[in-house]
Amino acid sequence: MALLKISEPGEKLAIPVHRFAVGIDLGTTNSLVSTSSGQDIEVLPDDAGNYLLPSVVQYSAEVDPVVGKIAISAAINDPKNTISSVKRLLGRSIEEVLTAPQFKHYDFDTQRTDSIPAIITAAGIKDSVQISADILRTLVDRAEKFLGGKLEGAVITVPAYFNDAQRQQTKDAARLIGLNVLRLLNEPTAAAVAYGLDSRDEGNVVVFDLGGGTFDVSLLSLKKGVFEVLATSGDTLLGGDDFDYLLAAWIKSEASPTTELNPMEEAELLRLANLAKHQLSDQNETSLNYLGWSGVITRAKFAKLCESLITRTISTCRRVLRDASLSIEEIDNIVLVGGSTRMPIVRDSVAEFFGKVPLTDFDPDKVVAIGAGIQADVLIGNKSVDDFLLLDVNPLSLGIETMGELVEKIIPRNTTIPAAKAQEFTTFKDGQTAMSLHVVQGERELVSDCRSLARFELRDIPSMVAGAAKIRVTFQVDADGLLSVMAEELSTGKTAEVQVKPSYGLDADSIEKMLSSSHENAKEDMEIRALREAQIEARQLIDAISSARSIDGQLLIAQEAVRIEEVVVELQLLVEQGTSVQIHELTEELNRLSSEFASRRMDLHIGEALRGESIDEVEQ
Amino acid sequence: MQQINQNYFQLFDLSESFDLDLEKLSEKYHARQVEVHPDKFSGATEKDKLRAVQLTSYLNEAYSTLKSPIKRAAYLLTINGLNVESVSQNDLGMDLLLEQMQLRESLDALPKDESALKALGHLKSEVGEKLNLKQNNFSREFASGELTQAKRIFHELQFLHKLLLEIESSEEQRLGY
Repeated sequence: MALLKISEPGEKLAIPVHRFAVGIDLGTTNSLVSTSSGQDIEVLPDDAGNYLLPSVVQYSAEVDPVVGKIAISAAINDPKNTISSVKRLLGRSIEEVLTAPQFKHYDFDTQRTDSIPAIITAAGIKDSVQISADILRTLVDRAEKFLGGKLEGAVITVPAYFNDAQRQQTKDAARLIGLNVLRLLNEPTAAAVAYGLDSRDEGNVVVFDLGGGTFDVSLLSLKKGVFEVLATSGDTLLGGDDFDYLLAAWIKSEASPTTELNPMEEAELLRLANLAKHQLSDQNETSLNYLGWSGVITRAKFAKLCESLITRTISTCRRVLRDASLSIEEIDNIVLVGGSTRMPIVRDSVAEFFGKVPLTDFDPDKVVAIGAGIQADVLIGNKSVDDFLLLDVNPLSLGIETMGELVEKIIPRNTTIPAAKAQEFTTFKDGQTAMSLHVVQGERELVSDCRSLARFELRDIPSMVAGAAKIRVTFQVDADGLLSVMAEELSTGKTAEVQVKPSYGLDADSIEKMLSSSHENAKEDMEIRALREAQIEARQLIDAISSARSIDGQLLIAQEAVRIEEVVVELQLLVEQGTSVQIHELTEELNRLSSEFASRRMDLHIGEALRGESIDEVEQ
Repeated sequence: MQQINQNYFQLFDLSESFDLDLEKLSEKYHARQVEVHPDKFSGATEKDKLRAVQLTSYLNEAYSTLKSPIKRAAYLLTINGLNVESVSQNDLGMDLLLEQMQLRESLDALPKDESALKALGHLKSEVGEKLNLKQNNFSREFASGELTQAKRIFHELQFLHKLLLEIESSEEQRLGY
């Protein structure tokens, strides 16, 4: 494209402008923002020099939401209005959230019909997208202040194992604050980029990413600047938080309070557990005091409490190796990412499983943000893509519901994205004119065990015998890992297309809305077509009258000629500016006005023909 | 310029054969990716962006087809005018069906818990070896232009491949994935 840009003479030569783009790690516990300072990627601190922005938002009736450290200290006294771990709410339905213990101290709005979890706060009802947007805004403000200009785009990282709804909502949160999303980048892939570009290492690398609330394992092949993800797996409900909850439950059972805990006591319990977890990363034991009880927890005891969580992470590593068809011996390096990998039990277990000491040269908190910043710099055009290329995969299989509530997989997990797959379907009843499609995501065979992404109906299929109609459904996964589904009816050559972006917890209403909007588009198309037809009709009549006058103008009565001339001028104007109805009506009138003239012409020419002269000769 | 309907082998400048240098395939794939990947078009028009997504999708599909021996075999037969979807009774020998039944029976007879893992491993390598052997046969018949014979072997490959997938999924069930 750049080659085609031609500068006007005298115009200043374009100096390559450094465009402002950032990488954002929107984490469960902490969020970070990074940007390119020309050469290196820097993680940006706040005014007090803190790189990590705690992903905590406090809402109040009087002032703007407070995000970060100040909000954390408020959580103890104002638990209902202080939202943490909102990332765990993304893409979930209200039913899932209501039964989760970690969210029990919030008041959820159960009246909502769109099924996006929303919390009743002092500042009104806030859903998971809005709360995430408030965190993003704080990061964007920080970056714009540093750069001294407006951001042109951002790469936002998401857990590799995030499903379509979770990805959509992350993008929606950015859209809510007008932030242009250059790409949703998988967190382990971002970490691998930061690691790979720095170390220049090649080979098979496992990224083990245990964050505050999510867990991913990705296996990448690094070769000559190409970062190819071979397989990824994870658990979007497993993270450091879960270690806190287990420890909190243990403290509670030891302290055995006589009454139900109030929200403040609950919050204090969690804070205490979190503190103890952190201390156990540096020391062998730590003392605890809670509601008059005091005791000690050792590293070994903590490891025992969290054994099941560790087992889950190792089992995921096994699955990734299996999906990539590689053995443990073929892994060259293991990179640890996410604050939770600071826990010695995690490090030791990973080292034991792979038989290799994992790399810890990188700050596990910053590495994802740095990778995102690098990718942002490339996508905004500051850096060439020739330096490196990312090839990522979709983490979960995509399929559709078939007979017997079974899932037919269309795009299996670990397929390199972007990916497209078309499948043909047909009707199974004579005269069937509609067909419904149910798109699901997941690995299980039964529809009810997978996540429903979208249901939509394809209508106006031409009525035919069973099996004659051909409907081609195309699944397209883009580079963000987002799916769009397109259905075309092929049998008559006339294609009907419905494009549905799957959304979170789609209910009947929103589907109806989506479908009616596609019908509205159809209405618009019809109006455009009617206008074109009216314009053509009017122009043809104007041309016909003009050529008739040049031949048989003497047949026109003066008064008649003036009137026709007036209407022709008016109609010419309407053709440019009028609606199809206006044009059509005036065309009809012109037709009436000129009909006398037309019949006189007819009489004349018929008479001439009868006298044995051809019309052509007369015209000459 | 890359086309959405280009022959997969031509797309990667490779000759049309079952025996493939996978290392070379991967190099060509990476080289093509650098040309068409959406990352190169993030500042382009919506139309060019969409085209990049479509071209890359096609490239990815081509690569995954050629990388997998069973998909590659099916693709070779298809571009040579054979319909791999239709299988007639004559395509499958009686001895093959008997062997399949035996292998399947031994799979079903295994205990449903972890204790079956070792036996599953043995079964997996047995089927894997048979697959390798058949692939060599396919390669030979295809190279010498014996397409009907190649198609027959392809259907045998399909059987073995499906069985292998079933063994793997029963392993996964027992591993609790």
